[in-house]
Amino acid sequence: MAGGGSLGEGREKAKRGKPSKRKKKKRVGFHLDMTPLVDIAFLLLTFFMFTTTMTQPQIMNMSIPPENEEVKVIDKELYTLRIRGDGKIFYNIATDEPQIMELKNLKKMSFEENLKLKNRLIVVLKIDDNASYEVVIKVLDELNLAEADLTTAMKKNNLMRDRRFTIAPMTEKDLEEIKSL
Amino acid sequence: MAKVKMKRTGFVLDMTPLVDIAFLLLTFFMFTAKFKSEAESEQKFQIKRPKASADTSKLPDKNLAIIKIAIDSVNTSDTSYYFEMTNEKDRQIVFSTAVGIDDAQRSKMQIKATLANLNTLVHDARTVNPNTKFAIDADKRIRFKWVNDCMEVMRKNLATAFNLVTDKNKECKFHQITQEFYYRI
Repeated sequence: MAGGGSLGEGREKAKRGKPSKRKKKKRVGFHLDMTPLVDIAFLLLTFFMFTTTMTQPQIMNMSIPPENEEVKVIDKELYTLRIRGDGKIFYNIATDEPQIMELKNLKKMSFEENLKLKNRLIVVLKIDDNASYEVVIKVLDELNLAEADLTTAMKKNNLMRDRRFTIAPMTEKDLEEIKSL
Repeated sequence: MAKVKMKRTGFVLDMTPLVDIAFLLLTFFMFTAKFKSEAESEQKFQIKRPKASADTSKLPDKNLAIIKIAIDSVNTSDTSYYFEMTNEKDRQIVFSTAVGIDDAQRSKMQIKATLANLNTLVHDARTVNPNTKFAIDADKRIRFKWVNDCMEVMRKNLATAFNLVTDKNKECKFHQITQEFYYRI
């Protein structure tokens, strides 16, 4: 079947002068019919293209403090964020009255508040058991985005960013405070 | 324009470049293809992950224990914990020795667990391999209580650093999370 082989064969036969019964083809280059090959290749290609999932899940780093570890804090340095069961977010600084906050303002607010107190501000996140996980992730995401800005902003002043953040349990008292808002 | 018309009875298309490209793509997709793990093909639910802005950190492959909190696709009111481990050797030890687990589940890739089961599973996973990393893969529709209870279990077992699995939100800008410190009040 090889092109070279059959070419030589043809020449030899011509030398001997034997007229062959087969139809003689003069092949200078040869063509291989690649259509079935292409068919299969594309079949496999489409299969792999459709079965591959390009979007790998990504992750959000979390660390929680171990049990029995108490850290003393000053009221003034607290920035409390509360997420109510219906997904509404409330914030208060130190012991101020809680105020409602839109998700889109969260990044700017936490950036500014953190910058005022540098590394001393502690963000406390209190989440109601009935709040949806989606809202929680959105809030955490906004806080993480603010964190990136903070790091760059503080680097300009040659300061190292030291994040202070915690998730605290929502108490009855907390719920009472934001109930009527 | 006087052009010499060629009479074409049949015509041959040179497919070589086409084949080149096709095979190039084929090999690319073959090597990058990641198939569902055994545990994933076994599960009856699908997790709708919450979206978060793009991040460079990816889920580790080795020694990973995933706690899935999912809503059953058939019975939508049924939320449950599922425990899964990527390290085959560790998985066999943990799944066969963990106390209080239904015997029918021991051979499975994924254990449907209650909160009490989860406690023993997390504890055993850490005892068998202290390098085990944990991840919580939760559905975005669930109540936070499920995640909170799960985190409480992790805290008890001193698995205080873990990952939350999210999906990429394409609209957001690229950013990086720096080292985080958490304080308890």
